[in-house]
Amino acid sequence: MTSTVVIARKELLDLRRNRFLIAILCFILVAVVISVVVSAAQFRVKFDDYTTYLNALRASGSTATPPAPQLFPLQLMRGSMEYLEILGALFAIVMGYGMIAKEKQRATLQLIYSRPIGRYSLAGGKLLALAFAWLAAVVVIFAAVTATLAIVGHAPFAGIDYQRLVVAAFTAWAYLLLWSAVALGLAAVCKRLSTALIIALVLWLTVVLILPQIGDTMDPDNQVPGGLFKSLQIAKPDEKAVLANFAGFDTIRNALEVSSITKHYERFTFAILGIKDQYNQQSLATVWSGTWNNVISLWLASIASVVFAVLSTTRTKLLRRTS
Amino acid sequence: MSAVLTTARQELVSLRRERLPLVLLVVFVVMVSLSSLIGWLTNTTVSNVWQKTVQAGLTKAANPFADVSALYYARNTVIYLVLIGALMAIVVGVTSAMRDRKARTVDLILSRPIGVSTYLLGKLMGIGAWLAMILGAVAIISWTSIAIITKAPLSVSDTGRLAGFYIIALVLLLVFVTLGMLSGIYSSRETTALLVPISIWSIVAFVLPQIGTSANPVSLLNPVPSVKVPGGAFDTMNTILSPLSVTEQFKTASGLILNDSEVTGNLATALLVIFLALVIGTVVLLDTRRDLIRGALRD
Repeated sequence: MTSTVVIARKELLDLRRNRFLIAILCFILVAVVISVVVSAAQFRVKFDDYTTYLNALRASGSTATPPAPQLFPLQLMRGSMEYLEILGALFAIVMGYGMIAKEKQRATLQLIYSRPIGRYSLAGGKLLALAFAWLAAVVVIFAAVTATLAIVGHAPFAGIDYQRLVVAAFTAWAYLLLWSAVALGLAAVCKRLSTALIIALVLWLTVVLILPQIGDTMDPDNQVPGGLFKSLQIAKPDEKAVLANFAGFDTIRNALEVSSITKHYERFTFAILGIKDQYNQQSLATVWSGTWNNVISLWLASIASVVFAVLSTTRTKLLRRTS
Repeated sequence: MSAVLTTARQELVSLRRERLPLVLLVVFVVMVSLSSLIGWLTNTTVSNVWQKTVQAGLTKAANPFADVSALYYARNTVIYLVLIGALMAIVVGVTSAMRDRKARTVDLILSRPIGVSTYLLGKLMGIGAWLAMILGAVAIISWTSIAIITKAPLSVSDTGRLAGFYIIALVLLLVFVTLGMLSGIYSSRETTALLVPISIWSIVAFVLPQIGTSANPVSLLNPVPSVKVPGGAFDTMNTILSPLSVTEQFKTASGLILNDSEVTGNLATALLVIFLALVIGTVVLLDTRRDLIRGALRD
C-alpha cells in the first residue's frame, strides 16, 4: 500500500469520526431536502389554483381549456442546486482547511515527515480522501433528493432524467472538490492558519455571493418585478433586437458573472436539469452544445485547484515556522 | 461604569489590530460604495432600453424609472448589509469572544473587580461603537454618491430616511455580533465558533424565508423581501417563520424606510422583530456563566 493510500484511509477515518463535519453535511442534506419539499408544495399550490380557475371557467359556461401546469420533476431541484452552490462551497472550504489545520495545530506534521513518504503523498492522500468524501456526500444528497422528488413530489422519472441526475451530481462533486482543494492549498501555503481562513472566506464571499449578485443586479430584465420586457409588453425577438444596442453593457455584466466559477456551475446544472426553460426536455447533446464552455471552465478550474493544492502542500511549506 | 468603558476602549484597540474583520470591512465598504454606482448604471441602461423601445414603436408603457426616488440608489446596500455586513459582524463577535480565551488573559481580567456581564457589555459596546463609526462613514459615502448621481443634495427628509436606515442596519449587525460572541464563548474550537453562527445566518437568510415563501436561495440575494404565497400551508408557515427571519424583516424595514415602491409590509412589526432579536441576544449574552468564558480552547 503506498503512503498516499495510507494517508487517504487515515483521513477518511478522521472524517468519519468528526461529529461536527457529519453535522454540517446533515445540515446541507436537510436544506436540500426541505428545498425540494417546498418546491413540490409550491407546484401543488399552482395546480390547485389552476383547478379552481378551470372550475370557475366551467361554471361561467366557458368551454375554453387553458393549458395545465406541467410537472418537470428535475426543475424542482433548483433550490437544492443553489444550496450546494452557496452552503456546499462554504462547508467544502471548512473540510479542506481542516485537513491541514488539524495537522498544524496538533504538531503532527513533524511526525508524518519523519516517515519515508513521497514528495506529494501528503497532498495526494488528503485530496484523495476529500474526493471520496465528497463523492459519498454527493451520492447521498442526490439519492435523498431523488427519493424526495418521487415520494413527496409524486414525480414520474424518465430514463433520461437519471442520466441528467448523474451528470449534475458529478458536476456538483467537481465544484465541491474545487473549494476543498483551494482551502487545503491556502492552509498549506499561508504561514498563519488564520490568514488562510481569511483568504478562503473572502474568496467564497466574492465568488459565490458578490459577483453573481452584481451580475443579477445589472440585468435590466431583473429591475422590474416580473421582468422589464414583460412589463413593456415586448416580444422575445424584439427584446433581443433592442438589447443588441446595449452589447457593451451586457458584455461587462456577463464578464462579471463568468468571472465567478459558481456561475459556470449554476449555468450548467440548471441547463442539464432543465431548470432553465431553454434547455428543458432537450437532449444532452443540445445542452452540451449550449453550455460546453461552462463545463470546460468548471473542470479546468477544479483541476487547477487540485494542482495548486498538490504543489503547495509540500514539506518545505508545511514545516515553516510561523511568525 | 468605568469598567464597561475601559473594556469597550480595549475592544476598539483590539479590533483595529485584527486582520479578518479589517479585510471584511474593506470588502464591505468597497461594495457599499460601488452599490450606488451599480444602481445608477443599471437605472440608466433600463431608461435607455425603454427609450429605444419607444422610438421603435414597440411600447407605449411609461418609463418604469421615470419618478424613481433618490434613495433608490441606496437599495443595493441592503443586500450587502445582509451578506457582507452580517458575516463581518459574526466574525467580529467570534474573534472578540475568543481573543482573551486564546491569549489566556481572561483569567487575569476576571481576577479584577469586574463582573462577567460588565466585561461582555463592555465588549459589545466597543464593537457597537466600531460598527457605528463604520456605518456612519458608509452613510456619508452613500449620501455623497447619491448627491453626485442625482446632481443635487438629498432633501432633509431623504437624509433622515438614510440615517434611519443605517441606524436599523446597526441594530441588525449587533444582533449578529451577539450571535458571534455567544458562539465564541460556547465553542471550544475556533473553526466551530465561526461555522455555527454562519450556519445559523444561512438558516435565517435562506432556509426560513424559503419555507415561508417558496423563494429559491439565490433569489433571496435581492434587496426586496420575498413575497409570500397566499393561502394554504405557505401562508401558515410564513406566519410562524417570518418573525424568525430577521434578515427578511430587515429588508422590509429598509425598503419601507428608503421609500422603495416594490416593498410592502408593516414597518412597526419589522422593527419590533429586529429590536427584539437584539434584546434577546444581549440578555442571553450578559447572562453567560463565568466558567464558560474561561473555558480552554482545543485548538
